[in-house]
Amino acid sequence: MENKILEIVNTVLENRGKKAIRKINPSMSLRNDLDMDSLDLAELTVRIEAEFDIDIFEDGIVNTVGEIYAKLNIK
Amino acid sequence: MNVLITGVSKGLGLKLTEVLLNNGCTVYGISRSLSPELERLITEFGSNLKWLRYDLSDTNNLKTEVFKHWIGLGTPIHAFVNNAALAYDDVITNMNLDALENMYAVNVFSPLMMTKLVIRQMLLHKIKGSIVHISSISVHTGYKGLSMYASTKGALEAFSKNTAREWGALGIRSNCVVAGFMETEMSSTLSEDQKNRIYQRTSLKQQVDVESVANTISFLLSDESRSITGQNIHVDCGTI
Repeated sequence: MENKILEIVNTVLENRGKKAIRKINPSMSLRNDLDMDSLDLAELTVRIEAEFDIDIFEDGIVNTVGEIYAKLNIK
Repeated sequence: MNVLITGVSKGLGLKLTEVLLNNGCTVYGISRSLSPELERLITEFGSNLKWLRYDLSDTNNLKTEVFKHWIGLGTPIHAFVNNAALAYDDVITNMNLDALENMYAVNVFSPLMMTKLVIRQMLLHKIKGSIVHISSISVHTGYKGLSMYASTKGALEAFSKNTAREWGALGIRSNCVVAGFMETEMSSTLSEDQKNRIYQRTSLKQQVDVESVANTISFLLSDESRSITGQNIHVDCGTI
C-alpha cells in the first residue's frame, strides 16, 4: 500500500518534470519535502482517489505523507 | 474526442450535439427529458451518443451518478460544455427565493461542481481539455426581467476566467460563449413585439442563428482554438 503511494507520488512528480524520489516516510511534508504545489496536490488527490476510492482532500487540507496514510487507514 | 454536454434535449444543446456528432465526436449528453429530436440522434449515431436522464437541480449526486456510474473514471473527458440553464424571468420586486435557489442550483452550483469533476478527470488522464460555458448577452446589456437570470450567467463568466488562469499551466482552457437571443424555448415566453425590439438592438437586426453559436462552441472545443482561453466570445449579431 505504501509502495503504491510512492508510485503515485512519483507519477505526479514525473508528470511535472520533477525528480522522482526513492523513499517516502510519514513525516515528509508534501509541499516542502516533495516539492509539490497546489496543482501537483490536485493531481495527487485525483490519482489516490482513482486507486483507493477515497478523496483525501474532501474534508480538509492534508500536509504530510502520514496524513495521507491516516486518511486511507494505513497503519 | 469525448465531449460532456448538459441540456441536450432541445435548443442550442441539441444543435451542438448534432454538430459534434457529425464532426466525429463521442457525446455524453445529459438532460431532464428525452425529446423526439434527441431520440432520432440516438438512433442515427448509436454508441457515439450516450445519454443520461439527470436533473441538474440535484447537485449532491453528480459525482456518483454522472461521473462514477455513468461516464466512469476510466473514460477520458476531453471537453465539457455547460449549456443547460433555467430562465427565471421576473421583475426584481417579485423575486421568489425558492425559484432563485433552484435556478442557481441548475445554472451555477451544478456547473461549478461539474467543472471540478471534469478537471479532476482531465488530470487523471493527462488531458489538455477545453471547457465552454454558455453565457448570455443579458450579462452585458440590461433587459427588463432578466436580472436574476443574468446574475447566474455573470457568475459563470467570472468562474470561467479564473478557471482559465488557475489551470492554464496544465493546458486546460476555459471560455464563455456569450449568446444573443435565439429562437429557442428559452426565449419562448417573449412576445413577438418584445423579440423584434431585442433584434432591432443588434447590429445585424436579426435573431442569433443557433447553428452559428453551435459552430463557435465546436471551434472552442477543437485544437484550432488552442491559444484562446479566459475569453468571452460574443455570438450576438453585434449587440454593441
